[in-house]
Amino acid sequence: MTKRILLYAALAVGAFVSVFPYLLVLLTAFKTQAQLTSTAPWLPGWPPTGRNVADMLAGDFPRFVLNTAVMTALLTAGQLVFTTFAAYAFARLRFRGRDVLFWLFVATMMVPSAVTMIPLFLIMRELDLVNTWWGLLAPYVLGTPYGIFLMRQFFKGLPAGLEEAARIDGAGPLTILLRVMLPLCRPALGTLAIITVISSWNSFLWPLIITSGDDTKVITVAIATLKDGIGVDYHLMMAGSLIALVPMVAVFVFFQKYIVRSVVLTGLK
Amino acid sequence: MTSHTAKARALVREPARPARRGGGLHAYLFVAPSLFGVVAFLLLPMVIVLVLSLFDWELLSAPEFVGLENYRRLASDGETWHSLWVTVAYVLLCIPLQTVLALGLAVLLDRRIKGVRFYRSLFVVPWMATPIVLALVWNWIFDPRDGAINRALELVGVTGPDWLSDPSWALPAVALVSVWQHTGYNMLFFLAGLQGIPKELHDAAAIDGATPAQRFWRVTLPLLNPTMFFVTVTNLIGAFQVFDTVYAMTNGGPGHSTEVLNFRIFETAFKQFDFGYAATLSTLLFLIIFLVTVAQVRFFGKRTTYDLS
Repeated sequence: MTKRILLYAALAVGAFVSVFPYLLVLLTAFKTQAQLTSTAPWLPGWPPTGRNVADMLAGDFPRFVLNTAVMTALLTAGQLVFTTFAAYAFARLRFRGRDVLFWLFVATMMVPSAVTMIPLFLIMRELDLVNTWWGLLAPYVLGTPYGIFLMRQFFKGLPAGLEEAARIDGAGPLTILLRVMLPLCRPALGTLAIITVISSWNSFLWPLIITSGDDTKVITVAIATLKDGIGVDYHLMMAGSLIALVPMVAVFVFFQKYIVRSVVLTGLK
Repeated sequence: MTSHTAKARALVREPARPARRGGGLHAYLFVAPSLFGVVAFLLLPMVIVLVLSLFDWELLSAPEFVGLENYRRLASDGETWHSLWVTVAYVLLCIPLQTVLALGLAVLLDRRIKGVRFYRSLFVVPWMATPIVLALVWNWIFDPRDGAINRALELVGVTGPDWLSDPSWALPAVALVSVWQHTGYNMLFFLAGLQGIPKELHDAAAIDGATPAQRFWRVTLPLLNPTMFFVTVTNLIGAFQVFDTVYAMTNGGPGHSTEVLNFRIFETAFKQFDFGYAATLSTLLFLIIFLVTVAQVRFFGKRTTYDLS
């Protein structure tokens, strides 16, 4: 019995620590400047104020949210399309150089993203793409080796000979992929989509380096500059954070089974 | 991520099957866009970093070939060695703690109790948070006067430190945020690993008179090696290139006390425009990550039978 109580106590502490910062965002975003010091951080300010959120939404902030949404949508679409094609070829088609090429892809997964930032910036500078949508998206829109690896594992797991019937009926690889394989891929595509949405929405270093104007500013960069701009006005900062976090929390709540599945799909055996 | 290299090696050894019809041209077209991406945005940059590290280039002037001069400079650059030490300290502060905590939580949740799914979801919540945003939230939590931690400490009569402006507390504080963010996500992997261990093994060990502790150390832990390998490799690679939280929480300060290597690379390139030297630092970071990963492959390779298919 005491063991059980201890177990639940440990789990409760873990859960509290996990959620506490989110709770703080929620509470602080609706406090006035005065309530910031007069109330304890973990208690709500009374009466709650909608001013902070309204202030943030009145400025340029919605535009940055929109920019981020556009970036996230394009990167996710690109990842899904290009990754599916490449992964299918690697998993189920035979062609000269396949294994060497796949080894090359897998090897590039080891390249730390931090190391490629400077040369990527210089490449974009040569191409005159600094501070443009093209520059922001190009390095990641063609799919990542990680995504290809994930999808390839999935394709390999599908029963052999799935394609045979369609092939006998005269279908080409493209038809087979789109008509036969793709409908079976929904769980894997869902997982890949979630991972890509989260990592795109959260990406910071590359947007920070490659963009500077408001046209391409994403929410992470906007929030980082917010900190320099308004100093320690935590109530405004938390209102901005709230706006940035809500979409991710929503994604998580609705799609968490895909996230858990991604862990299994990564090929841990 | 490195487990994949090992996997790839195993894949290359696959027995050759007869060529199927419909491969060829279609296959190349399918692979082409991604291949272009990998070559242009991953391989080419690696080559550029290596070449650039042999040049002196401040972006506005023409690049000047200086041979190994940047590396000589690196050898006697105290600040870089300091930031390397900061990086190692950061890794040591967060990796062991977040691995042990994740494993502990996974063990707690690997049983049939009420609300397992609920807890599992809650523990993963920190992972999907935008790091830069959460860093700001933690700034507020660490605020010396009105922050939650010091206000709570005040209640029990303790005056908390200045956390992020105290050189001895700033790095642990930043590391703590990493622990907070990654523990739950790693727990998912351990949980998947634990559930893959056949129950019969535990039963057999129990019949032989093994205590729960013995069963954990002798049965569970060795069988978790593949998971442990994956988790530590990906976490270490991530921790060695930490940037977002440092940028948002401390900006490398106070002093240089949280100036990790990746932050220093960023400053060298995009604040001082010393691109040649920044490339040299990038090469150093790559080398370190590479060596640490190879060391882990060797360490775990001896202890693991890995299903690589």
